[in-house]
Amino acid sequence: MEALEMYTTDDRSDVYTEELKLNLGPQHPSTHGVLRVELKMDGEVITQSRCDIGYLHRCAEKIGENVSYLQFTPYTDRMDYLASMNNNLAWSLTVEKMLDLEVPERAQWLRMICCELNRIASHLIAFGTYGIDIGANTPFFYAFRDREKIMALLERPSGTRMLYNYIQPGGLRRDVDDNWVDDVLTFCGEFEKAWVEYNTLLSHNRIFIGRTANIGIIPREMALDFGLSGPVLRASGVKWDLRRDVPYLAPYDEVDFEVPIGEGTYGTLGDCWDRYWVRMREMMESIRIIRQGCAKLPGGEVMTKKQKSMYKTPMKPGPGHAYMRCENPRGELGFYVVSEGGASPIRNRTRAPSFCNLAVLDQLLPGTMLGDAVAIIGSLDIVLGEVDR
Amino acid sequence: MNESAIHQSLLAAGIAGVGDLDESSKDPTIEVQPEALVETMTWLRDDAGCAMEMLHLVTAVEREDRMDLVYHLSSLAKHHSITVRVSVARPEGDVEFVPEVPSVASVFSSADWHEREQWDLLGVRFAGHPDHRRILLPEEWIGHPLRKDYVYPSEHGGIPLELDAVPIYEKAPAGEAAERVSEPRPAGAPLTQPPSEPSHRPHAGGKAPDKTKDQS
Repeated sequence: MEALEMYTTDDRSDVYTEELKLNLGPQHPSTHGVLRVELKMDGEVITQSRCDIGYLHRCAEKIGENVSYLQFTPYTDRMDYLASMNNNLAWSLTVEKMLDLEVPERAQWLRMICCELNRIASHLIAFGTYGIDIGANTPFFYAFRDREKIMALLERPSGTRMLYNYIQPGGLRRDVDDNWVDDVLTFCGEFEKAWVEYNTLLSHNRIFIGRTANIGIIPREMALDFGLSGPVLRASGVKWDLRRDVPYLAPYDEVDFEVPIGEGTYGTLGDCWDRYWVRMREMMESIRIIRQGCAKLPGGEVMTKKQKSMYKTPMKPGPGHAYMRCENPRGELGFYVVSEGGASPIRNRTRAPSFCNLAVLDQLLPGTMLGDAVAIIGSLDIVLGEVDR
Repeated sequence: MNESAIHQSLLAAGIAGVGDLDESSKDPTIEVQPEALVETMTWLRDDAGCAMEMLHLVTAVEREDRMDLVYHLSSLAKHHSITVRVSVARPEGDVEFVPEVPSVASVFSSADWHEREQWDLLGVRFAGHPDHRRILLPEEWIGHPLRKDYVYPSEHGGIPLELDAVPIYEKAPAGEAAERVSEPRPAGAPLTQPPSEPSHRPHAGGKAPDKTKDQS
């Protein structure tokens, strides 16, 4: 009798479900790491979401206050471990800003080429794992096949496959070998053909569009309010790329490239498909930058003698502070360093793009279906090593 | 606009509590009184000339005599950026220094998580924050690790955190209880202290190989 009353007094008398609390993660492949999301569900529909992060917290900022400026470079590798080269660059530029260091021209061009190669590798992971999130397993193998070529290319100058520690304050650790530029150009040719394959496999697949178009829409105002950056911001129609607008490396001024933005091709502006498509087009723009960089690569030193001698004694910038930001594959990575003249900073703060981009998730999930939550998390392309630091 | 032009227009807006422009560092910084923070941030966001659409970072910097809160803002439309700093003085002899500043989460949603992180790691209170919880550390954690006077805990939730917390035993004769040979690291000692004398570590989960026995 009680049960009957419950059914008749409820507004949705035909489909009554109790509120269900669901724990998504931390050990779940779709959360791309150790992210935990507490969901309140009404049937299949999410009514409330709360992110719980910090499972990978290593207090990198505390470490940064206890090691020298040069010693912190390998720790930046381990933040966004899919784009170590870009992290090294951001940290090196911050230290160079503090010390007023001049970097040789060849080092700047090689930095740009390496970072763009790493950007493609990082976007390939985003492309491959996003396919798996949605239910398409094959693109993942195509992505990893081509990512392996980039890792082999970056291993030759740096010595490691993922955590490079190659770009350092003052320049580069060592120069590339003689055939490296030719091999990079060969890779560019191969990648351009492979990119067409990706699109036939996934991008314009009807099922994939059905799962991603009109899902997880981030309007322009919301993107700016939450301080989103990178492909997530550009997919909402904001044409903002630090490489074009605030060129932090001189060569970015001298190469010609487009900044892809979302257009709402299959749905609404700023949906999951737009974010995916911005990343896909950015890979081809990176190839354009690499081709121009290889053609214009000047000769000379990659680290001047003055800077080499600096490694024998710890770098000691004067009292003051500096904030430097770079366009990483996931958005704007910034380092804020406060020095009081010692060998290590008194405050070492990281603006992690994944951290800022993830903050919007609690706003996106309510009202969507559980299956779409996986598509939305994947489209934000977070790396938990960077979220938790 | 460059930083001094932004500062001039901010002064012209007549907000009480806006201080000088500190140009001693790489990034010129506007100093603002805590009471004027929310009004200043709202003005910087809404003014057509400044149009600071994005708050990048909220950082707390602990100094000997004060806590600084640093806000990095930038404008996408105007291609300029500015740094705003708020200082809270540490009262004389205050050991449990918990500075409090107004939250700007109502002006920029991006401040929400950044302010939670600064509370978590540096113990800064943000008055009016909608969800004032820890973010990276567990809710029951004691202390704020990025403080300069933070004491490294010896255990958390029953899990020992000291380097030598797992006791090291001498190989005990058969039938006798093992005797502890190494002392745990004293509180406050550096983590990377070299061992005073080499200790014998038996093979994990089993007996040490008996060398006297014939190998055949």
